Amino acid sequence: MRVRGILVMLAFVTVACGAAGPTQTQGGTAEPVRGGTLVVGITSDPGGLNPAITTSGGTHTASELMYNGLVGLGPNLEPVPELAESWEIEGDGAIYRFTLRDGVTWHDGTPFTSADVKFSFEEVLLEFHSRTRASLMPVLDAIETPDERTVVFRFRQPYAPLLLQLDVTEAPIVAKHIYEGTDPQQNPANTAPVGTGPFKFVSYTPGAEVVMERNPDYFKEGLPYLDRVIERVIPEEGSQVIALEAGEVDWIWGVPGPDQQRLEADPGVELIRTDRNPGGSNCIMTVSFNLERPLFADPRLREAIASALDRDQFLERVLFGQGRVAQAPISSGIPWAHAEDLALPAYDRAEAERLLDAAGWAREGNGVRTAQGVEGVPDGTPLAFDFLHFPTFTQYGELLRAQLADVGAEVTLRPLEPPVFVETVFTERDFDTNVISYCNGNDPEIGVRRMFDSSNIGTVPFSNAAAYRNPEVDRLFAEAARTLGRDERGDVYRQIQEIVAGDLPYWWLVETSATRAHTADCTGFSPYAQFAESAYCTR
Amino acid sequence: MIGRYVGRRLLQVLPTVAGILLIGFLLLHLAPGDPVLALAGEHGDAAYYAFMREKFGLDRSLPQQLATYVGNVLRGDLGVSYIQGRPVVDVIAERLGATLLLTASALVLSSAAGILLGLLAASRSGGPRDVTVSAGALGLYAAPVFWIAQLALLTLSLRIGLFPVQGMTRPGGAPAGLAGVLDVARHLTLPVLVLASQEIAAVTRLTRIGLIEELASDHIRTARAKGLAERFVVGTHALRRALLPVVTVIGGRVGHLLSGAVVVEVVFGWPGLGRLLLSAMQTRDSPVLLGIFLLVAFSVVIANLLTDLAYGWLDPRIAYR
Amino acid sequence: MGLGLTLLVVVVALLASALAPFDPFALAGPPLAPPSRAHLMGTDALGRDLFSGVLHGARTSLLVATVVGALVMTIGLAVGMASGYRGGLLDDVLMRVTEIFQTLPRFFLAIVVAALFGSELRYLVLVLGLTSWALVARVVRSEVLSLRGSEFVEAARASGASDIRIILREILPNTLPAAIAYLGLLLAQVILLEASLGFLGLIDPSVISWGYLAGQAQRFLRVAWWLSLFPGVAIMVAVLGLNLLADALTDVLGGRG
Repeated sequence: MRVRGILVMLAFVTVACGAAGPTQTQGGTAEPVRGGTLVVGITSDPGGLNPAITTSGGTHTASELMYNGLVGLGPNLEPVPELAESWEIEGDGAIYRFTLRDGVTWHDGTPFTSADVKFSFEEVLLEFHSRTRASLMPVLDAIETPDERTVVFRFRQPYAPLLLQLDVTEAPIVAKHIYEGTDPQQNPANTAPVGTGPFKFVSYTPGAEVVMERNPDYFKEGLPYLDRVIERVIPEEGSQVIALEAGEVDWIWGVPGPDQQRLEADPGVELIRTDRNPGGSNCIMTVSFNLERPLFADPRLREAIASALDRDQFLERVLFGQGRVAQAPISSGIPWAHAEDLALPAYDRAEAERLLDAAGWAREGNGVRTAQGVEGVPDGTPLAFDFLHFPTFTQYGELLRAQLADVGAEVTLRPLEPPVFVETVFTERDFDTNVISYCNGNDPEIGVRRMFDSSNIGTVPFSNAAAYRNPEVDRLFAEAARTLGRDERGDVYRQIQEIVAGDLPYWWLVETSATRAHTADCTGFSPYAQFAESAYCTR
Repeated sequence: MIGRYVGRRLLQVLPTVAGILLIGFLLLHLAPGDPVLALAGEHGDAAYYAFMREKFGLDRSLPQQLATYVGNVLRGDLGVSYIQGRPVVDVIAERLGATLLLTASALVLSSAAGILLGLLAASRSGGPRDVTVSAGALGLYAAPVFWIAQLALLTLSLRIGLFPVQGMTRPGGAPAGLAGVLDVARHLTLPVLVLASQEIAAVTRLTRIGLIEELASDHIRTARAKGLAERFVVGTHALRRALLPVVTVIGGRVGHLLSGAVVVEVVFGWPGLGRLLLSAMQTRDSPVLLGIFLLVAFSVVIANLLTDLAYGWLDPRIAYR
Repeated sequence: MGLGLTLLVVVVALLASALAPFDPFALAGPPLAPPSRAHLMGTDALGRDLFSGVLHGARTSLLVATVVGALVMTIGLAVGMASGYRGGLLDDVLMRVTEIFQTLPRFFLAIVVAALFGSELRYLVLVLGLTSWALVARVVRSEVLSLRGSEFVEAARASGASDIRIILREILPNTLPAAIAYLGLLLAQVILLEASLGFLGLIDPSVISWGYLAGQAQRFLRVAWWLSLFPGVAIMVAVLGLNLLADALTDVLGGRG
């Protein structure tokens, strides 16, 4: 309704005017110091510096300082103005009208207009950015640009999550005058980018470093403070820490668990924890049960496995405390949708053994259990199944294997490189269990729905691995996508979580966080997106 | 004469090169996992994948793809990197210099040091000097290269602060001129030392054994009988002949050095081909993987060729048939 | 000395299950505990006993060495003997093929295979076994060439023995020592290669191996030195043993080859 639309718009504009940009770290009462060079350690060579054609973490980490999205996200995932200074939602959420900031220019001086936005979405993002394409293509009707400062998104039905998908990670805006008429994947600007961001491109030495300098015409008054940012490629996390301690690097994106304690105690280093990453936010390490296999038909077996896993041990020994035990299917990083006090199985080995016995898995002494009267499984079959995982997640597999051995289950690990893993799990569906880092994203519609929607069982990677089919859940997800009010949406998601917590198609192990580390000489960072926009160094 | 010999050797090398090409290509295309996923990312839909597949010619038959690939290679085109969208030749050329610098320096250092140490050990064969050198060399050879690399990094870089921790230049690029050269040299020292340590052992042992044999042989006795100075005897006569097997081994060692370089580059953050290999592996960037594999194989072939020629020069008895 | 070391490794490998105090995969103690009475070589990040791990790793190394050795010897002997005895076109063709396999960079090939096909042990063993026989073939071939015209072969032929008989009875036993010496060196290289692959994270995690332990230790270098020291020492012992053994064999043969 019109009135409701205006009210919503007013609410957002109020919040928007009040916010000043990404949250800054507490750096004492000193006035920001201008100048200086920040040296950043990055894990992988970006290869290309165009974040609109890929979701690769390497490219995004290296290039997000040079670009902007329409709408940024504050520390609590609240939308804040970026390239768009205000917006209205009309038609119950099927029409979004953005007013763009005035006077924004590209790094080469060309003025930024609504044509750039339309071009970025239609020719680049919806073609090549897989997350944006996957979520917007089915629902977006058209993008109109009535004038140079206005962009209108028209959807086929009300679409609630749009404002959370327009930041520099999900939908960076690229220059039409650079990319028009070319193949966006081959355009040389991909290694010599022209953006609107706080820092401008200077040079890129493949495999070694990316150099950026201050954008004096940046649209946020007074920012950035730093003169230069240099990103050095250091593939080994251990070497990154060493470089930080030796003063060769000022900021690193992740601290390996074993080094955390030492860095915490180091007065010259400060740490920032966050769940938001250029490659995916609010990620939960999730075990999937292949429900198409008769072994997992009995929910008691799934509950038994859940009860047999000591998830605190995972948090302690695999993550070294960088994260939290998962308390609900939706990450606590999306607080309005995360279900509090959900009745999930607790770690209880005795209960696990009891459930296994009840389900017909008999055990002699300390050996592997065998089936005695389990439906669909011949008597005498041992309780043995495989566990697929990326090689980087080997430790999860090893701990799981050891813990389940205690209750008489035999687990075989199958590490597979990502492309092979994806094909084996989603195309061939040749697995019993696996572990996947399912990243929820900034809104459950982005990263959670795909896990449960019965229409999403198939070859698309990171879709519904468990092959869970529940029409009620499908219906609820569709309803949540249409509902505009945050509280009402939260209620719908709660209903969903209660259902799946009972069905246990998956078992949610831990929510993973990253720990950023930087020298105490510098401050004013935010742990994601344009992280050094407000940073300065006093040295 | 020499020309004909070289020509013949080159012809002999052709089937080797062809075989390596074939093996590399087959491997990459027979491997499980759909190459289109590397190209198109993991979130696409069926239509998108079909579009990408057609674009990169992945929907054609295997023999067709092989023929296309071989044709391209002969024209110097190694394909286009899936991930970076740039020609593989460019991608590799950018990193080649760094690895070449590292590997060539290690080769020179290990050869020189190895020969010297071998000389030292052989000239007093059986004595305490010989035993120490031999034992030390063997110890270095038996230790895994990443172990030595990590230890060096921890002690010499972090503890003592003698050398920079990682990279080829200081952040922001090397300054111009002499200061730049010195900067790179400083960063190069530790990686080269570590890489060379592996090879020194082999060269030392071979020189030592070869020299010991030579020193006991007839024409050396003759030279000694003629009253020539001991040092002259050992230095010129014996050494020249003893270097024969050493030269052979150094040639074959190129492959070994390159493998060691991968590990050293990872530990020290040296921006060369080794790290490119690893990242191409993780992202399944097949054209780059194949390109590097072929490059390494060709380097070994060329090294062998040069070795054969040097062999002939060192031992005049080998006629250039 | 070489023999002693190698035998030590072999014996330990065979008796691993008996000697190891814990199941190497079981969570036997507190994580990252330094060496102590209870855990002679300390524990890893998950709390598994390293001593048991190293012992079982010896077993894996023995297994890999045996299979690779068998493959290499079979192919190498077959090619070398056929090539050396027959000569002619067969020799030329086989030598070309040998050259191809000699030039193939094994480490890179192993990396590519591990990346594309998976890190299961059987792939590693296959790759190594099928590509490392070149030098053995060459050595065998040169031995055969020099033995071909010798007296007892002539005698055997004169007495009407078939070619195969001659090869198996007269020539094979004489080529074995040189081949085995090379095998020793090769297996040492295989162990080092496996360790490097483990460091790069390309090794099979279902099987405890020294390479695997070395790879795991990498992240903890500064907080748990024992995790990289002991597997490294084990690798050194095995490689040293094999090398010394091969050296001794070569010396016995009079420095030929």
